[in-house]
Amino acid sequence: MRYNPGTLRGNRVRENLTGWAFISPWLLGFLIFTAVPFLRSIYLSFTRYNISAPPRWVGLANYEKLFTQDELFWKCSIVTIKFALVSVPLTVALGVGLALLLNQSVKGMTVFRTVFFLPSIVPTVATTVMFLWILNPTTGLINRLLQSFGVTGPAWLSDATWAFWTFVMMSLWGVGGSMVIYLAGLKDIPTYLYEAAVIDGAGPYQRLRNITLPMVTPVVFFNLVMSIIGAFQYFTQPYMMTPRGGPDDSTHFYSMYLFDRAWKYLDMGYASAMAWVLFVVVVGLTALVLRTQSKWVHYGG
Amino acid sequence: MAANYKNLAKWLGVVIAVAAIAAVFALQQPTPRRYPNRIAVHFWHRWGGEWAKVVDNICQRYNESQDKYEVIALGVSGGSDIKFRLGVLGGDPPDVMSMWNGAIPDMADNGLLTDLQTLMSPADKDYFFNQSYPVVRDSGIVNGKVCGVTIGSDLYALYLNVDQLKAAGLDADNPPKTLEELCDWGEKLTVRDKSGNVKRLGFLLNQLDYLAYSFGGGLWDSETQRIVTNSPDNIRALQAISDFRQRMGQDKVQRFQASLNSGSDTGGWPFITGELAMTLDGQWRVEEIRKYSPKMRYRVIPIPPPATNGRPLGGCLTGNFMIIPTTARQKEGAWDFIRYWSGFSDLEASAQCFNDGGWLPLSPKVVQTKTFQKWLQENQQFQTFLDIAASANCQPLPPVPYLQYLLDGVAKAEDRTVRGELSPKAALDDLNRVMQRELAKRKELGYAR
Repeated sequence: MRYNPGTLRGNRVRENLTGWAFISPWLLGFLIFTAVPFLRSIYLSFTRYNISAPPRWVGLANYEKLFTQDELFWKCSIVTIKFALVSVPLTVALGVGLALLLNQSVKGMTVFRTVFFLPSIVPTVATTVMFLWILNPTTGLINRLLQSFGVTGPAWLSDATWAFWTFVMMSLWGVGGSMVIYLAGLKDIPTYLYEAAVIDGAGPYQRLRNITLPMVTPVVFFNLVMSIIGAFQYFTQPYMMTPRGGPDDSTHFYSMYLFDRAWKYLDMGYASAMAWVLFVVVVGLTALVLRTQSKWVHYGG
Repeated sequence: MAANYKNLAKWLGVVIAVAAIAAVFALQQPTPRRYPNRIAVHFWHRWGGEWAKVVDNICQRYNESQDKYEVIALGVSGGSDIKFRLGVLGGDPPDVMSMWNGAIPDMADNGLLTDLQTLMSPADKDYFFNQSYPVVRDSGIVNGKVCGVTIGSDLYALYLNVDQLKAAGLDADNPPKTLEELCDWGEKLTVRDKSGNVKRLGFLLNQLDYLAYSFGGGLWDSETQRIVTNSPDNIRALQAISDFRQRMGQDKVQRFQASLNSGSDTGGWPFITGELAMTLDGQWRVEEIRKYSPKMRYRVIPIPPPATNGRPLGGCLTGNFMIIPTTARQKEGAWDFIRYWSGFSDLEASAQCFNDGGWLPLSPKVVQTKTFQKWLQENQQFQTFLDIAASANCQPLPPVPYLQYLLDGVAKAEDRTVRGELSPKAALDDLNRVMQRELAKRKELGYAR
């Protein structure tokens, strides 16, 4: 058979077109429902826009008011940063810890893994409603347990001292999702490394410190980035449980204020500016974590 | 042979998938129209569940009452004002919609609403302007334009549990005359355990945005056309709320409140379950008690004014108001439906509509009908709400486009005060500062108000 470059090119074009055709539903959806609104929100952040009337250019006014006049903006930012600072390290530590425990060769381990993973696949709204019951100050499970020890539990969600920490505690509930990823990372560690370490006389702690943890850092890195993004976007649980921002605004998270500005007060331009501030902060933090990875993330392969 | 089976299985799979998709789409077909030859009037409303059935029945009665229009109802509860705006801007608005009156001023300011006066006949105008409850009428007027007409207004009053009062040695038929006396009753009716935890709350003084009117205060000055936040009367009202909360024990009350059933649109309302002996609530609860606890003995009284400088029958009216978008395709049909429900055309039919939901009507004329009087005989406690609606001390919500921001601010000021974070004066002064800054921001951004 004679080599025909034209036919080959034609086949490649056809192949490419088929590929584009298959990917086009997603691509169109992404362009129309994500990319265009994303780009348009940059423009909207420089406008006064309340949905009912066309946007009107106001320059940097939204950003200026956000940074210089809006006390609630700063309050919500601090709550969110505080939440990220506490909950992210906790979820990473608990996720890795659980994965290490569930990586042992113990009978019935699959049952334990399933039990710890299950909460992460329950819909957030269902989990939140369940927590509303659990945290009920008089009839809730937690306070009843405390009562049996003679301790009067607090009003978890309406006490300014406790409300914020209640959400930190709740953020640990879904740790099973990241635990599974850590577990997969642990399973990927070549056994010969442990065998060599045992031959060299390394004990369990040395193996954990010098093999397991370094080898699992790529997964920790991935989960860390995702947790930071998640913490700054924390919304559903606090909005359902303390829709007005909780006692003394102690659970007024940034996304809640953004949502209220957009959909409750119809201040879309202002909300767009808030969204872009959030975006820049999250991108900045992600970039910072990326920059540090050469110092602590170990790509064994 | 094996290849044939494989092929067959593949095609069978395709046929099943196509049939399943077709079945799903076929099942989602809207209900066919009952009167396809009539002019369709698309009506969006904010009710769901049991309430939606009440609305459907009213629409059905309207459709049966004439042969020109067919009202097609659609419940859009949850974010209904946003859905309305998007419907209007997207070019597919309803012809008529029931809307919380607090959302109307912003829509009116943005030119989304038809001035309903343009659709009124002289007789309609006479009924609306001269024969309706002033507060109900004015709640739909923005900048001199009639932007909404009520199909069910809401007011609050005190519900008293007769049996619990009797057990505490109190007579429900001889209720407190002053707010101070009411607070005493509240304390007396509160039941606590050995540790002082509240087991039943006698009464809780709250809702500054409503209570302020009993003190001669409020959130709106109709003369200056400005919002009012830190007036002396409002501060007095907040002081009363704060004092009573301290007296009852903020921590214990907060704990008890947090344990109450918040999803209380059914028989789980804490007043019905006996957890609240007296409570401030809306007139729709009359119908709810009739449905879920018909044997319950209760009374409804207006919130008594404070002993000094008080205003009897004070309150603030909210509710569902019919609006017609400027871009509605069928304004005449929409207006005809409003006329039917609100009593412009048939007072008896209108009375039936308001009675179905236990809502306050537009006009005393509706109350005077046989239908309404018969219902009132069976639900005598409703009379209190009618008295409040007729009172000059009952005011409309401030007709401002930033009302939600204001109400959230008032709720926050109340919360900060009862928690002891700020004094009533400091909390309301701070609210005033925040509101002035928000108004300055709106002005700077070019909003009309």
